[in-house]
Amino acid sequence: MKKSATSLKEVFQIAMPLCLSYVPIGLACGILLHAAGFNFLMTALVSMLVFSGGAQFMIASMLTIQAPLQTILLMLLFLEMRYALLGSSLSQYVRGTSKKFLLIFAASLNDENYAVNYLKFATDKTWTPQNALSVEHFSLLFWTVSNLIGSLVGSFITINLTIVDYALTALFIYMIVMQIKNNLTILIIVISGVIAVITMVWMKSTMGLVVATLLASLIGFALEKILVKKGMKKSFLLKKMKPNAGRKEISKSGD
Amino acid sequence: MSVTTTMDHFILIVLSMCVAFVPRYLPMRIFASRKIPDWFNEWMKYVPVSLFTALVVKDVFLNTETYTFVGFSNIAKILASLIVIAVSYFSRSMGLAVVVGLIAVALLSVFVPV
Repeated sequence: MKKSATSLKEVFQIAMPLCLSYVPIGLACGILLHAAGFNFLMTALVSMLVFSGGAQFMIASMLTIQAPLQTILLMLLFLEMRYALLGSSLSQYVRGTSKKFLLIFAASLNDENYAVNYLKFATDKTWTPQNALSVEHFSLLFWTVSNLIGSLVGSFITINLTIVDYALTALFIYMIVMQIKNNLTILIIVISGVIAVITMVWMKSTMGLVVATLLASLIGFALEKILVKKGMKKSFLLKKMKPNAGRKEISKSGD
Repeated sequence: MSVTTTMDHFILIVLSMCVAFVPRYLPMRIFASRKIPDWFNEWMKYVPVSLFTALVVKDVFLNTETYTFVGFSNIAKILASLIVIAVSYFSRSMGLAVVVGLIAVALLSVFVPV
């Protein structure tokens, strides 16, 4: 049976699990932004213009520890650099679209809608760049509204911020777990953790994070190079791990 | 420069938008017609994992006011993190991982230091 173009309603159903998972995180993020001094309008702006859970939590927690502007921006740059990788892997599917489309598409790309779109592009021949953009905009809508509700909730009740702040840590732990592909990744996690403690205690600032990220990623890059050069692709460190539940969560919503 | 007023927040948002936009747009634009250099991909692969780990370590094992190592005294966060690792691995759901993590740290903080 020939599959016809995907309607907006079908796109919404595909984006739904993703949108719903944004609600609790967006609420927590809105509460933290409020605590960091962002007013309702600024919370709306940052959710629409930056549209990145990690980046917004980072802004909030950096503001509460009175970090200077340049440190916040440098940390954001490192945090957002991963999109260079995601963006380039999507590039083959958005060839032939206009410059304007690409600008709009890039502006609302993030980790989760990337995962949905990449999988749809790879498995569904009828999936168009326009469908992918709709997924991005549905997730953007849910994200912004959740942030705004969080901002309101934060102004009515007082919440223990150490606990809400942990949402960011939980989010990062999730992203770490999703990226473990072999034992080398686990080794790099340990190395990065140790370096991070040393550099932050030594530099007494969040610049330690930047140094630790650079050092640990370069060590990972070098170690992999050396192992591959020595013909140890099948060694203990580089052996591919079987992903657990696969991409069940995403494919369930698609196809 | 410290960030305090609404105007400061606005400037921060605009600059953050640029910082967030460039890495999303430029590579997609450039590599729509050119091949991605291997060394770039191979290095980039380790950036997120390294950064996320450093951030988690900062929250769980450091006091961010004095930048001192607190060892294993934040028991609630350490236990909650183990729970989040398990939930992430088995469910692969971001929303569930965050919600369970928040509930765990809230409940644990009643009994042990956060």
